Amino acid sequence: MTLFPRILVANRGEIAVRVIRACREMGIESVAVYSDADARALHTSLADLAVRIGPPAAAESYLSIDAILSAARQSDAKAVHPGYGFLSENADFAAACEQTGLTFIGPPVEAIDGMGSKIAARRIAVQAGVPVVPGETPVDQSDEAIADAARRVGFPVLLKPSEGGGGIGMKTARDEEVLIAAIAQARREAVAAFGDGTLYVERLIERPRHVEFQILGDHHGQIVHLFERECSIQRRHQKVIEESPSTALSPALRQRMGAAAVAVARTAGYRNAGTVEFLVEGSGDSAQFYFLEMNTRLQVEHPVTEQVTGVDLVRAQIAIAAGQPLAWRQDDLSQRGHAIELRVYAEDPTQHDLPQAGTLLLYREPSMPGIRIDAGVTEGSEVAVHYDPLLVKLIASGETREIARGRALAALRDYPILGIRTNVPLLIELLKHPRFAAGDIDTGFLDAEGDAIRARLSSTPPPEARAVAAAARADGASSAMTRRSAIASGVDPWSSLKGARV
Amino acid sequence: MSSPADDDFEVVPLGNGRYQVTHGATRRIAFAVAARDTWVFLDGRVYLVSDTADGTPRRSSVDEHGTLTAPMPATVLAINVEAGQRVERGDVVMVLEAMKMELPIRSPRNGVVKAVRCQAGELVQPGATLLELDEREGP
Repeated sequence: MTLFPRILVANRGEIAVRVIRACREMGIESVAVYSDADARALHTSLADLAVRIGPPAAAESYLSIDAILSAARQSDAKAVHPGYGFLSENADFAAACEQTGLTFIGPPVEAIDGMGSKIAARRIAVQAGVPVVPGETPVDQSDEAIADAARRVGFPVLLKPSEGGGGIGMKTARDEEVLIAAIAQARREAVAAFGDGTLYVERLIERPRHVEFQILGDHHGQIVHLFERECSIQRRHQKVIEESPSTALSPALRQRMGAAAVAVARTAGYRNAGTVEFLVEGSGDSAQFYFLEMNTRLQVEHPVTEQVTGVDLVRAQIAIAAGQPLAWRQDDLSQRGHAIELRVYAEDPTQHDLPQAGTLLLYREPSMPGIRIDAGVTEGSEVAVHYDPLLVKLIASGETREIARGRALAALRDYPILGIRTNVPLLIELLKHPRFAAGDIDTGFLDAEGDAIRARLSSTPPPEARAVAAAARADGASSAMTRRSAIASGVDPWSSLKGARV
Repeated sequence: MSSPADDDFEVVPLGNGRYQVTHGATRRIAFAVAARDTWVFLDGRVYLVSDTADGTPRRSSVDEHGTLTAPMPATVLAINVEAGQRVERGDVVMVLEAMKMELPIRSPRNGVVKAVRCQAGELVQPGATLLELDEREGP
């Protein structure tokens, strides 16, 4: 069956790079889109074609449906892969693609719509016979009505943007005293991130684990799950480390949750790749699980599933969108070994995770067995303030969790990223932490242990580092620097070679 | 094995930003790049070694004259104080937004706001003055 001759990748950063590479493997031409801030970005340079879509502000570029559709027309793309974030869960965008004859590589518009609203998503889960966490979206969205809802649901409560995802703009209120301030802040962040201040109020389950199941559904009635990802290492509800399998699931619980995930997807009329998120209280056969939400897109953490199941999810998405049936039945799929993903963010763990911007003056990826790196940057990349601070995902795999953990540690210790601060030192300390090593984690782990861990991250240079710095200054004309300063001074060796044969 | 002196390091450039560090019998690879300050990567840690030679990196945020500066490019989301207002150490005087996250800017000490040097909605560059506190007052 023929696939698409040309796919537009409506995203940036590491996920755009991931999709562009999958297209190349499959013999499909890729079209990158870029804002002015990304004219020299890695994804822009890797694609077969690249189309400028606007100024740096996401609302005028990566979030602009008109700009993306016009880029698709201009480049004669036949399908659009939305990646994650940006327009990936925007039903209007999916509908607009289909109306203009573009295949949206993702679920049907109705499934995005259904799962995009938390109320409808819960209704679907309940209909599928899957338990849910107490919560509601008040029709009256005044501060007072939200506060009343919080009292009905019971403290502690979580305030979430109704249109949201990825933990952006979520706020916790533990009691009355902080409630009104939390509502105001949650609303502000919801408006800033999603252009809609509607809030959802939910009971916060204490010490839960975040465990999600990967789903694939084709256009021929087949739906399978590809087991779980444990994503309990989060900071401010943003995931930092994910792994598969979860240390909390017994085989029996895994089977029940997998069946529940498939039931939710089937009830939603789901097709293509999606993720059913659960909160798990306790562990083993007696653990309770609650449906949280369904993400109607590829997840950031999809590589851990790929590493343990051997299934390439991006290829599968493209094949499904082209009408191909799934290549596997549920019984054909199994988890083999263990995979851990570390998210490398441009933020300073010694300064309250302050986002960092600047140039990657030196960037060298480690190369060793069991290490996969999904990068959105390379040496010389500019990290701008306009977008998500995720730079790279490092995925370590091995026969056992302990082997994967050891490989992740070794790789991070051999992964120099200089020019901006990153959270790599924090990731190293997390991997070494006795509770992480023992698999004794929950979504509050980083909040509880974070300060003690960060206290170990002194950035005072030891004598050895000062000696290296002195040598580097003496060695001032190092090759990396020469190239960067040439670009900084406007003498870009590549621009000046335009038209010449190199 | 004789234990070498603390500062007895041999550092050999290997090219392309790589350095071999030898300390007694211990050998390690470091990476470094000299910019305004010098960035050093050593065993998973990153250090910013300042040219001022004592190794203390330059810090933005606040100087001894009470000037608060932007730590990075960001949008001013909210300004919670006005000139003449008394603030205490730790008070959130303004909120910046960068990379989809809110960054509360706290007063580094007790004092009185002398001047607010930015406006809500403004995009500020690193080092830009956000706010001035009066001359030293209280701890």
